[in-house]
Amino acid sequence: MNMPDIPLLGMLRERMSWLNARQTLLSQNVANADAPGYAAQDLKPMDFEAMLKDMSPANQRGLLVTDPHHIQPVSPNAQFDQDAAPDGAADMTGNTVSLESEMIKVADTQAQFQAASNIYSKAVDLLRTAIGKGG
Amino acid sequence: MDLATSMAVAASGMRAQSTRMRTIAENIANANSTAKTPGGDPYRRRMATMTSDFDRELNATMVTAGDPVPDATDFRQNYDPGNPAADAKGYVKLPNVNPLVEMMDMREAQRSYEADITVMEASKSMMAGTIDLLRR
Repeated sequence: MNMPDIPLLGMLRERMSWLNARQTLLSQNVANADAPGYAAQDLKPMDFEAMLKDMSPANQRGLLVTDPHHIQPVSPNAQFDQDAAPDGAADMTGNTVSLESEMIKVADTQAQFQAASNIYSKAVDLLRTAIGKGG
Repeated sequence: MDLATSMAVAASGMRAQSTRMRTIAENIANANSTAKTPGGDPYRRRMATMTSDFDRELNATMVTAGDPVPDATDFRQNYDPGNPAADAKGYVKLPNVNPLVEMMDMREAQRSYEADITVMEASKSMMAGTIDLLRR
């Protein structure tokens, strides 16, 4: 059994890669805050129901292979849906980035990531207790 | 890795803002530069430009500073017959630099640069958090 096959760890991994992808989008927004005509982007929020369905063993995701040991392709961050998310009205150059809202989103993403990585390490500690190595 | 990409994008923003800062510094430094010849044109103000380009290698939208564009507005004129750059009527052409506009532009560049640094620090702490998982 692989570690990501444990639903809790798999979900946390998914959450962390979503936050990773979001951080990249936010840094794009901040870098382009003064570029004329740039539209602010954000990821669509994660759907907990869909995630639970995805994580159930009957619904293992990934490419169908003839043998489970075959190497799976590594997909880039295109797996999360992104969307134009204007922070407010466009300025005279057509740019819809507001640095203040972006800063709040960056801080939020950072905190969420910290939460996810803390829960991940707690879950690993729990497993460690279960196999009798102390936690 | 994703977080490395987000740091690279933030770095491209910082690079663009510092190029803009250089153009602003040139304008402020030359705010009173007159022509070398009598009646000639003085320093012409230049404006920083920025464009966003999609980087296929990183799969992200980077920002790049373009070449500065000359400002086409009229020069200021000052009556100063004793000035070596004055024309036959005694008028000296002064650069079309408005220090107030340059100051505002400078503050804006500074604020954007600080925002880029904040993003970079957040990405760095997320990366450190991931590396910390390895120590468990």
